[in-house]
Amino acid sequence: MSPPTAVELRNLRFRYPDGAEALRGISFSVSEGECVALIGPNGAGKSTLLMHLNGILPDRLPAVPAVTVFGRPVTEDNLAAVRRDVGLLFQDADDQLFCPTVYEDVAFGPQQFGDDASVPGRVAEALGKVGLSGFEQRAPHHLSGGEKRRVCLAGVLACTPRVLVLDEPTSDLDPRGKRELKELLRNIPTTKIIATHDLELVVELCTRAILIDGGSVVADGPPRTLLGDEVLMLAHGLERPHILQHHHPH
Amino acid sequence: MIFSLDPHSRIDSPVHRLPAWAKLAAALALLVATVTTPRAFIPVGVVLIAVVALSRIPVLFLLKRLLLLEPLALGVALLALLQEGGVRIFALIVVKATLCLLTVILLSNTTPFADLLRVLRRVRVPALLVTTLALMYRYLFVLAEEGERMRRARACRTYGVGRSHAWKSLASVVGRLFVRSTERAERIHAAMCARGWR
Repeated sequence: MSPPTAVELRNLRFRYPDGAEALRGISFSVSEGECVALIGPNGAGKSTLLMHLNGILPDRLPAVPAVTVFGRPVTEDNLAAVRRDVGLLFQDADDQLFCPTVYEDVAFGPQQFGDDASVPGRVAEALGKVGLSGFEQRAPHHLSGGEKRRVCLAGVLACTPRVLVLDEPTSDLDPRGKRELKELLRNIPTTKIIATHDLELVVELCTRAILIDGGSVVADGPPRTLLGDEVLMLAHGLERPHILQHHHPH
Repeated sequence: MIFSLDPHSRIDSPVHRLPAWAKLAAALALLVATVTTPRAFIPVGVVLIAVVALSRIPVLFLLKRLLLLEPLALGVALLALLQEGGVRIFALIVVKATLCLLTVILLSNTTPFADLLRVLRRVRVPALLVTTLALMYRYLFVLAEEGERMRRARACRTYGVGRSHAWKSLASVVGRLFVRSTERAERIHAAMCARGWR
């Protein structure tokens, strides 16, 4: 028996208010336990797509939505439940860390979901998972880039989502920050959908890659097959990552 | 570069160790006393000097902060000079304003802002106001850094041009900063919604 479906997209379309068509009919489904990479050039529609997964976009949710999360269509009525199930990590850490202290930021999600008694425990556990126990009283603007990203992740994990959605999780991190974050993600068994330009991460972490360009799905398959196809990669503003390069005798 | 409004708020001293609510209440009492009574400024001044001594905050830092904020009060005080017997009123306004500013500077530099917010929340200050204050405190730094980055980027490409051009480019930086802040505000709102904010 195949694992249950976590996220399903059926012909997802989106047009920005200025008329630009960002998504032109995207369909795919993600099973529980998968780690799916969304790859594609800048402006392909990856971030826009991610924001549909928990109903941040569109501004007015349609009566028959194109996105279904664990069997629930993303409608106004289901919004709270969907946002609980889907943990979204934003691209810019400063957008996500809006509280005066690390503790309050990580506690923000659990507090919204209204189980106050469990909040301190959830915060401690989430900070422990990202290796930042003891940072509770620090102010976000005094943290390094890597630390900020990990606090953001803790804020998402504290909500115990059933699917993690990450937008460029390793962008502007130094190599050590990238390595640490990859290790962290590897050890989180939750279903993951990761939009990224970090193709090494895709090969190392993901079980499947979906290539998006111009608002449509171009290819969908195992990372090594997709990313190893140099012609396909170059045609869509990407490249074959170094770990998949053949060794040439010199 | 890290901007900070309250660089000394987390050092250790007898004043820093006092509970936040006590400091907030004391500061309020001092402010009210200074503003409403004609001669309270002498005892208030004595109390504040004692707090400065106990707090271990460098005096030079306090003077710099005062100097930074004083023009705002002086602007109002200058108007007093225009009336009869204005010099006395002017002096009084300056002394009172200085004491009030010193009180607030001391409060913010002996108490972490997050603790102050917690007290405000506990005494039932409207949640919307507390949230607004918290967000303001958080993003002031981000905004200042963004402005500084844009100013530097500008400076790198505007050498040897006249002053009027510099003003014009400053205007466009301010405009861009406003647009960027609006966009950021939208993204922050989205991030809050993503974690269950309604």
